[in-house]
Amino acid sequence: MFKMGSLFRSEEMCLAQLYLQSEAAFACVSELGELGLAQFRDLNPDVNAFQRKFVNEVRRCDDMERKLRFLEKEVKKDNLAIDDTGENPPAPLPREMIDMENKFDKLETEMKSVNSNQEALKKNFLELTELKHILRKTQQFFEQTHVPQQYDDETPLIASEFSRSFNRFGVHFFYYRFVAGVLMRDKISAFERVIWRACRGNVFLRYTEIEAELEDPHTGDKVNKYVFIVFFQGDQLKSRIKKICTGFRATLYPCPETPQERREIALGVMTRIEDLQTVLNQTADHRRMVLSQVALNIRVWLIKVRKIKAIYHTLNLFNVNAEKCLIAECWCPVVDIDRIQLALRRGTELSGSSVPSIMQQMQTKENPPTYNQTDKFTSGFQAIIDAFGVSNYREVNPAPFTIITFPFLFAVMFGDMGHGLLMFLFALYLVLKENRYMKHKPEDEIFKMMFDGRYLILLMGLFSIYTGFLYNECFSRSINIFGTSWNFLMEFRLTLDPNKPGVFRGYPYFYGIDPIWQSAENKITVQNSYKMKNAVLMGFAQMIFGLSLAFCNRRHFKDKLTLYCELLPQLLFLCALIGYLCMCILYKWSVWTVAQSNTAPSLLIGLIDMYMLTDPKSNNRVPLYTGQYQVQIFLVIVTVLCVPWMFLSKPYILYKRSNNTQDDICCFSLYDRLITQSMMEAGGLDSQSDDDVAILHHENNDANYGKQEPESFDMSEVIIYQAIHTIEFCLSCISHTASYLRLWALSLAHSELSEVLWSMVMHTGLATSGTSGAILSFFVFWFFSSLTVSILLVMEGLSAFLHAIRLHWVEFQSKFYKGEGYIFSPFSFTLIVEGKVE
Amino acid sequence: LNFVFFIYFAVNTSGFLEGLVRGFKNGLSKEDYRHLTQCDTLEDLKLHLQGTGYGHFLANEPSPLTVSVIDEKLREKLVIEFEYIRNHAYKDLATFLDFIKYSYMIDNIILLITGTLHQRQLSELLPKCHPLGIFDQMETVTIASTTADLYNAILVDSPLAPFFKECISEEDLNEMNIEIIRNTLYKAYLEAFYDWCQQKGGATADVMCEILAFEADRRSIIITINSFGTELTKEDRAKLYPRRGKLYPDGLLELSKADEYEAVKRVSELYAEYKPLFDGTGNNPGDKTLEDKFFEHEVTLNVNSFMQQFQYGVFYSYVKLKEQECRNIIWIAECIAQRHRAKIDSYIPIM
Repeated sequence: MFKMGSLFRSEEMCLAQLYLQSEAAFACVSELGELGLAQFRDLNPDVNAFQRKFVNEVRRCDDMERKLRFLEKEVKKDNLAIDDTGENPPAPLPREMIDMENKFDKLETEMKSVNSNQEALKKNFLELTELKHILRKTQQFFEQTHVPQQYDDETPLIASEFSRSFNRFGVHFFYYRFVAGVLMRDKISAFERVIWRACRGNVFLRYTEIEAELEDPHTGDKVNKYVFIVFFQGDQLKSRIKKICTGFRATLYPCPETPQERREIALGVMTRIEDLQTVLNQTADHRRMVLSQVALNIRVWLIKVRKIKAIYHTLNLFNVNAEKCLIAECWCPVVDIDRIQLALRRGTELSGSSVPSIMQQMQTKENPPTYNQTDKFTSGFQAIIDAFGVSNYREVNPAPFTIITFPFLFAVMFGDMGHGLLMFLFALYLVLKENRYMKHKPEDEIFKMMFDGRYLILLMGLFSIYTGFLYNECFSRSINIFGTSWNFLMEFRLTLDPNKPGVFRGYPYFYGIDPIWQSAENKITVQNSYKMKNAVLMGFAQMIFGLSLAFCNRRHFKDKLTLYCELLPQLLFLCALIGYLCMCILYKWSVWTVAQSNTAPSLLIGLIDMYMLTDPKSNNRVPLYTGQYQVQIFLVIVTVLCVPWMFLSKPYILYKRSNNTQDDICCFSLYDRLITQSMMEAGGLDSQSDDDVAILHHENNDANYGKQEPESFDMSEVIIYQAIHTIEFCLSCISHTASYLRLWALSLAHSELSEVLWSMVMHTGLATSGTSGAILSFFVFWFFSSLTVSILLVMEGLSAFLHAIRLHWVEFQSKFYKGEGYIFSPFSFTLIVEGKVE
Repeated sequence: LNFVFFIYFAVNTSGFLEGLVRGFKNGLSKEDYRHLTQCDTLEDLKLHLQGTGYGHFLANEPSPLTVSVIDEKLREKLVIEFEYIRNHAYKDLATFLDFIKYSYMIDNIILLITGTLHQRQLSELLPKCHPLGIFDQMETVTIASTTADLYNAILVDSPLAPFFKECISEEDLNEMNIEIIRNTLYKAYLEAFYDWCQQKGGATADVMCEILAFEADRRSIIITINSFGTELTKEDRAKLYPRRGKLYPDGLLELSKADEYEAVKRVSELYAEYKPLFDGTGNNPGDKTLEDKFFEHEVTLNVNSFMQQFQYGVFYSYVKLKEQECRNIIWIAECIAQRHRAKIDSYIPIM
């Protein structure tokens, strides 16, 4: 029972000191990492990251990780699947690290040599292909020049004019010299301009695109290139053009002048390309072979390296003692101390160390972290609470109550059997398929959120079905299960008036709301009043429950002062104000009958009168019950008295207490400090102040609420704090109650919206008769169902969800929940391996 | 009305990018610098930088690290960030960002021309060019032998063309010439940038004109100091002064008459902003150089630019501050690599 740990309060934590033999430390931390139950504290906060003891090991791990990343990148480049067996290897011992380093080093160098080989080959291949294209394209250029009229559109204007003038003078290209090369596509226009300007128009440039994409040997990207050829005269121009070409990173190739030579070279190039292709294929095969070996193991290697790195990071947090011993401090749950000790023993055995590792609990005044054990069912609910604020250590955790209240309040706003059923089925699907989704984590963030909250949604759906049943609504239609208890006359406008004789059969509908109301004219009036009052009742119930949890907190932390001076008046105030209203609602429901409804007193007016201190009789109003005036006067007095009680009593008592202690020794804090000092020195205390001190320390330990040393007493601060809290509470009693009316408002909105959707869409389809009606209904159904899902389920569901969250965070939790703790984040491999934590 | 303008700015112009830049800006803290200066090896430096906003930018570099690798990677990071912003910018902001790039283009051209003049290979020079200042025609500047050539053949198509008009001549390129070209280009560039910002108006003008005016004055002062003992005539020198700073017109007139350092100091001390920069500078050990003082003042101006919202100055300041930070890291890295720790603390702190 105790071992289980409960959701009601966070786990009891203790600060423990570990003495680890330096040779056993690695194995011990490794075991603790697998266990994931200890949160280590940094014992060298002043030491730089690079001055710590195991920084070299961390660096070696970094280097291994880098190599593995490189290999992984190469594997991915070749589209090989990385083998994922789900295996979780333990962290290897430090001595295996050298082996691993050597292995990775060898693989890296091999991979690099393969790569550089391949790159060289590819570069060669690229050059040959470019040369092939140049020979082919220039051939076209030369052929075209014989038929000067056939310039294609691609030929630039300047060049074409130029070449025309060329031909006019009867000059042939063959008297000119030329340079041919290949250039990147995006540079061609700039190239053309520069070459034209730099050579003052004395050159002739032609270019055309290579249709095939070429592969850049270095990056492996596909690039588009152009073949160009420049004709010119003279050596000076030649050097200029060559300079420009290098400037634009164009590759120039030798291109013979006569067609025969060109053809010969082309043939030679073709054969060389073929040879090269076979060599390239062979290298690619070799590369694949190496990589497939890597792909098999890389996941396990990465996990191993990450684990080692995490262990050394943790060891860096430890205090290194001169006597070959590491000292660590960690927070751990008290219930799991045995398991931690077992892990330590295992670690010591594994490392073969003869001296056992020692674990020792420490006393501390520091705030322990909050650790709520959750499982897959409760984690969703705990997440809602933690999103608001992590609870203080050992404070009442609202999560277990939220499991029921949250879906319930949601369902009050979302009550519809049909919609609830759809939601339930969706969540059920997620729950049934959870193993599959757990293994392959969903990538989509929205889906992931829904998946994490699957049990929440499941309960929300279930509760919605129930409230929908109470409201008797299924896609806004009612179901007549138990037989209606109204006789309705065939009137055109159906107004249900129980006072008319013969209309009401005299016994109520068995369970939930009578389906007849669905078609009644006065449905909204009746339901509004009912749902509004319900909302106030539920709100009051939840707020009172919140205050009773505050009572649990006060009892647990033995804070009697707050209990009597704050909580008690708060409780009275709430009961006298809102509790009385709720009582009136219930009284009116049960005592006043339909026949009297015309003369029944209004509760709202009654409430106003109560605080105006007017006697209902003096205004000729009917009292709700006899003696109402006297009871109300008493309650008003109680309410008014509660305010100074809340405001003044606690500061006054604190003031008195501080005066008392100041009488003893001048200052509260100095007193305490002196005592701690003397305790440390003598291990005990002088006899006379013994009792006081015991109380003081007692309070300190119990209250444990943030302050580590009692601060000097500041009256004004206490008064301001108390005033703010008093005002806030008094106001919030009214505003929070009003806030619960959202339960009614959203429920109304939801049922109205779904009714509109039914009558405007589905009804039109069903009302048409004949074949056309059948076809119309078919289409209308799809329209109706898509709107139902998108608007009613998703949008309305989200809004109801948000309002339910708000009711919990603000209206419920403000009564008792501090939420100023910090979460327990143990050193655990599972998180590290998944890459969630550094 | 202001409110409407802010919304317009945020939605329509660059709200997203400004937010981004403010995020990028968050650099090394004083504490970080202190830790960095304590490093014993470059590996330590890498380890520490991992814990800062620089993150894992060196993670894929095999040991042993060299300063040049760090420099390259730092620069690469800045360029990636800048290009990202540039690619998302349009309209005025795009023009503004291009203006920032122009100064790097000028530097690159001058570097290449000087290099070719000294018979260096292009392949040797290219890695030294700043990646922000690379443009298509850049690498062909080596073919030009006169400035007219340079303009007509190459730069006329580049965005630098308008700045070049003033320095076209048929003279051959020599070292003196190149210096004059550089300074004339810079002058034209600064004046154009200043005028553009002024015409843009609003907070952008307030912030940028302040920074650019300082830049202009710094150039004037440095040109004057560097010209002592060279063939440069006083008339030619006066032509190189950018005419947008606070020294213009009286201060520049005085500067153009100066023959020695003291004269420059006298002129500058008439201006409240520049007086403190000349105080306490000198070449004695422990003194800060005038250059460092200028850098510090520039950093202050750039940091102040982040105080104002909805203006383009933050983009300029972000580039300059990041550059300064990279220079600081490199300085520290050099000191570590050369085991010359005495001067390790003389980086320019960025507050």
